[in-house]
Amino acid sequence: MAERPSPNQTVFAPWTDPDAVPLIRIEGVTKRFGDFTAIDNIDLNIYRREFFALLGPSGCGKTTLMRMLAGFETPTEGRISIDEQDMAGVAPNRRAVNMMFQSYALFPHLSVWENIAFGLRRDGADKDKIAARVEEMLKLVQLERFARRKPHQISGGQRQRVALARSLAKAPKLLLLDEPLGALDKKLRQDTQFELMDIQEKTGTTFVIVTHDQEEAMTVASRVAVMDNGRIMQVATPAEIYEQPNSVYVADFIGDVNLIEGRVSSIDEGRATLDWAEGQHPITGQASGSLSKGGRATFAVRPEKLYISREEPTERTNRVWGKILDIGYLGNLSTYHVETTGGQVIKCEMINVSRIDRRDYTWDDEVWLSWSDTAGLVLPE
Amino acid sequence: MFPRPIQDASPRAQLLYKIALPVSLIIWLLPMIAIVATAGRSLSDLNYGNYWGVPTEWAFIENFSSVFGSSSIGNYLLNSVIITIPSIIGALFLSTLAGAGLALYKFRGRFVILALFIAGNFVPFQILMIPVRQLTLDLGIYDTYWGVILFQIAFQTGFCTFFMRNFIADLPFELVEAARAEGVSEWKILIHVIVPLVRPALAALAVLQFTFIWNDFFWPLILIQSDELRPITLGLTTLKGQYISSFNLLAAGSLIAALPPVMMFFAMQRHFIAGLTLGASKG
Repeated sequence: MAERPSPNQTVFAPWTDPDAVPLIRIEGVTKRFGDFTAIDNIDLNIYRREFFALLGPSGCGKTTLMRMLAGFETPTEGRISIDEQDMAGVAPNRRAVNMMFQSYALFPHLSVWENIAFGLRRDGADKDKIAARVEEMLKLVQLERFARRKPHQISGGQRQRVALARSLAKAPKLLLLDEPLGALDKKLRQDTQFELMDIQEKTGTTFVIVTHDQEEAMTVASRVAVMDNGRIMQVATPAEIYEQPNSVYVADFIGDVNLIEGRVSSIDEGRATLDWAEGQHPITGQASGSLSKGGRATFAVRPEKLYISREEPTERTNRVWGKILDIGYLGNLSTYHVETTGGQVIKCEMINVSRIDRRDYTWDDEVWLSWSDTAGLVLPE
Repeated sequence: MFPRPIQDASPRAQLLYKIALPVSLIIWLLPMIAIVATAGRSLSDLNYGNYWGVPTEWAFIENFSSVFGSSSIGNYLLNSVIITIPSIIGALFLSTLAGAGLALYKFRGRFVILALFIAGNFVPFQILMIPVRQLTLDLGIYDTYWGVILFQIAFQTGFCTFFMRNFIADLPFELVEAARAEGVSEWKILIHVIVPLVRPALAALAVLQFTFIWNDFFWPLILIQSDELRPITLGLTTLKGQYISSFNLLAAGSLIAALPPVMMFFAMQRHFIAGLTLGASKG
């Protein structure tokens, strides 16, 4: 059993410490390919021992940013330094950085053992030392039995672990992982996420992972950078990203969210109230960003924060009525799509706590959706 | 499925196929059959005009022993080996380097260089005959092994580079990037990643080059004068005889000369086929 963290144990959060020296400094970096701007003036610090995720849709520039860290691309403008050393003009093979590819890029002509030993051997290290290190790596990824096999003789999950072992063998300061779990099926991917975290913690290596899978980023990362169109939209811990998105884009990109557009009727002590439809109560949530009274804003609330009921819950701050359009039964939870005024569809997730539940809502039922005044965020347009 | 299996064709078509196949094979092999038959005839048969009929006496052993006895064919074969092997090694070495350079690095003008390598293959080398001879004279390598080797390498490297570039460009580039991320230098990547992976291509190319260079008559003819340096292709002409053409001996000598490329092909057949179809069956 893992020990319960004591109340005064310090949480790993070097980004909150103004004295902490970041391992990676990205300062005003821009990358252009011809007319196309892949990375647009990015500033970012990543700290030692972090598990940092670059998250975004394909084409957002996350892979380009990672390839610049590896040295495969050079920034058009700006500066990247790793461990206080400017990386300009430093070739990929001279950086204390390794990279794990989505395709794994295992050398097909070499066995698992030789793949892991590849970098060490080329450095002309001592034979016994290489052997010891390779054994250590094989043990770390639990592949001792497969050492003599060629890459085509092992499964996809095992190949992924070989690639990880190979990239860690030379103990890099920084390991870049490009969609490392992209080629695995869902079940294996989930197991491997925890394995990856475990290995990251054991080796203490700084990991930067690129992924388009928000669940994966949330699971493994200590901090997540959400990217869009070459810019970083928000950098925060997974919980903050999920609960405190700073923009409609981030709220929408991470997880499921209901977005309701309206006009701000009042702002008061960090709370903003939104008029959004004729015949509906105004809705109140936490004010975020620069809102102005009378201006347009978007209300964001997660489906699981909503409660569904037949009677009007008069004691709740926010309540909305509508008609059930769709019901999705997922086993552990049920999703209700409720159509309200103006065709706005609001999703509500209810956990099925008891096994024999009376699911008394059905299609076309008139229902109320309600949530507390802290459940949602009011975001500027 | 294409082509349609012959078993699916009508009985008439099958019959036609069964007749046409051996006939076309015989036509195809006619020059070969003629040479083998001539190699087994006596000179008197040839003088009487008996080219295709049954020989009055089988003279295989006499012909072959007189080829070995009356000419320095052993020496010619050795010269062919001395010229062919370094030429292949040189061409493969240079073309692997050039091919890797053109396939792996993005630099200005790389397409122009590749185009030059390809275009060079279309220059008829007959028009280079006089300048090359003059050049070897000026370099002091006229009538030496090195003169022929150097120009075989020079003329074969264009095609080989084209061939190797395409193979290397077909390799997943991430393998190179992975090796770079491992901290490995470019030379070591070439030796430990690229070369092992293009080995089938190298084997295929080695067989092709062996055939080209071994069978080449033109450059040795231009660049070699002394009898001691002649490769087998040139050496065969000495079998012609001074006053009469002993075609039976020439045919026997040709068979001997043709053997090494055939043997080379069978020895490397497995790699050769693998090399030609490499990349065609990814998956």
